[in-house]
Amino acid sequence: MTGTVRVENLSKTYQVRQRKGLFKSFRSTVEALKGVTLEVRPGEIFGLLGPNGAGKTTLIKILTTLLLPSSGEAWVNGFHVQRQENQVRASVGCMLMGERGLYWKLTGRENLEYFGALYHLSPQDRRQRALEILERIQLGEIADRTVETYSSGQKMKLAFGKALINDAPLLVLDEPTNTLDVPSASELRAVVRDLHAQGKTIIYTTHIMSEAETLCDRVAIIDHGQLLALGSIEELKDSLRRDQVTRIEGVIPSRAVAAVKRLPTVQQATRTSADSGDLLTIVTSDGHEFLPQIIEALTQTGATIKKIAPEEVTLEDVFIAKTGRTLAEDTRER
Amino acid sequence: MTATSPTLKSNLSIVLASARMRLATISRYPGQLLMDIFIPIVFAAMPILLGRATAGPDAGENFAQNTGTSNYVAYMLIGSAAFTIVTYAFWHIAYWLRWEQETGTLEALYLSPTHRVWVAGGTALYSCLRSLFSASAAFLIGSKILGVNPFEGGVGLAFLFILSGLIPIYGLALLFGALVIKVKEANALINLMQWGVSFLMGIFFPIAMFPPLLRAIALLFPPTWMTNGVRSALLGLTYFFQEWYLDLAVLWAFALIAPLLGYWVFTRAETSIRRNEGVGQF
Repeated sequence: MTGTVRVENLSKTYQVRQRKGLFKSFRSTVEALKGVTLEVRPGEIFGLLGPNGAGKTTLIKILTTLLLPSSGEAWVNGFHVQRQENQVRASVGCMLMGERGLYWKLTGRENLEYFGALYHLSPQDRRQRALEILERIQLGEIADRTVETYSSGQKMKLAFGKALINDAPLLVLDEPTNTLDVPSASELRAVVRDLHAQGKTIIYTTHIMSEAETLCDRVAIIDHGQLLALGSIEELKDSLRRDQVTRIEGVIPSRAVAAVKRLPTVQQATRTSADSGDLLTIVTSDGHEFLPQIIEALTQTGATIKKIAPEEVTLEDVFIAKTGRTLAEDTRER
Repeated sequence: MTATSPTLKSNLSIVLASARMRLATISRYPGQLLMDIFIPIVFAAMPILLGRATAGPDAGENFAQNTGTSNYVAYMLIGSAAFTIVTYAFWHIAYWLRWEQETGTLEALYLSPTHRVWVAGGTALYSCLRSLFSASAAFLIGSKILGVNPFEGGVGLAFLFILSGLIPIYGLALLFGALVIKVKEANALINLMQWGVSFLMGIFFPIAMFPPLLRAIALLFPPTWMTNGVRSALLGLTYFFQEWYLDLAVLWAFALIAPLLGYWVFTRAETSIRRNEGVGQF
């Protein structure tokens, strides 16, 4: 076993109660994960990308022992997630719920010391560790104020600090820069890079593609509970040839998008908002040879084209090609 | 990694840290602690004043015919103080779980390599300290206000009954906690439970007044034995088994069974939740 994390054919189904009005409800089964297999290598920053409801949180919750899988197996730091739960927990530092995982009536220092106790640190060690973390995340000046008085960004920083309390070899960070302002997010990413340089393995989920692109060594794209792609950023980009992605700006109605999608060589066509109107990102399987037909389909269905730009493939393009939508798109109503 | 393997010492340290954390939290609501003392007095004052209003000067004599003591004021004050201890145990364990579930910290607890029973132990320790302080203060202040001597009878033996009763009561509270995390509701359950508990443990009347079936059910409930033991020790009433040590032995038997039952049900509820939606959903 070589990976820091090894996942074999992991599946998770559970029952949810769907509500209709005030009193009616019925149960349905959700397949949150469908046979996911992957490995996180020691010392890498591993990005986990997927829209809301894709299954990435379920995967993280199984790896951190919060949920039991329906089938399949997983090991974290060499420990089996079901048979060696406490060893798994001791060897992982987690930031999963953002600011919700903190005691707001306690001070920042009291929070860290309490979580230190839960990781079996001696009273002296937890005081020392809390001090080091507060310094590292630059919350030392407000350490003795109750968390309820912190700004949202400060709470996120403290939640990140909590993940460091047990100095674990594996960190699981679920959207750690959410609600942080630009300088604070940058500072936090610097700390993540620093921890990575110290040899820590990091699983990192984010909605910000540029963040994943600059931070992660490898990424996995998950959607509908399935692993759609896995590899280094360059490997994933190489999987789409440069001339396969075309961006068209203009006023593009829904019927025009549908017409483009019907063309035989179009793999994906996703419309997003842009400054000048709409931005249509098209992934084709035969380069730009089919571009005249795309333009024809658009103009015949009422689209006004302002700009056509074949562009360098980004991670966002890979994501669109694999999932059919942008990461920013809200897919909760799926 | 600085995290060390669990030892008995580190687990006991978690119990203390958990209790300290909860004491620190409640210390930020000072008005709550003051209310804790006066609620049991007001609770007992209502039936005491009702008794005086309905039975007049013969209230004590009438009461003695059914209970063995004419000191109905102390009888009800003791009942109310014992009820405070019991209801706080249920409130604090249930509310601890529900509150942590709602604020998101319950998931954080489950991420750590600490079994929840140690954190529950810390919550129970905090709850014991708070309820013993409140019940004692309420009994002393209430005795002064209502004109009875709080120190007559066997105070030490009464305290022994309370200490022996705490273990099974917190065992049952853990069982109740399992229900709370499963159904994701605390307030309605606690309100319902409070009426049932106050009725079954006979806080204002002897359970001898119950019909046989209800009396048998009440005797299966550890708080009934604790309350009767405290009252018998302080007011010189008869014990259920005539001798104090036999009643105490029953409480100790409950002390062996109830925590194990609570632990078993709680861990089964945890596994069931983790198999489905997880502890984070509330």
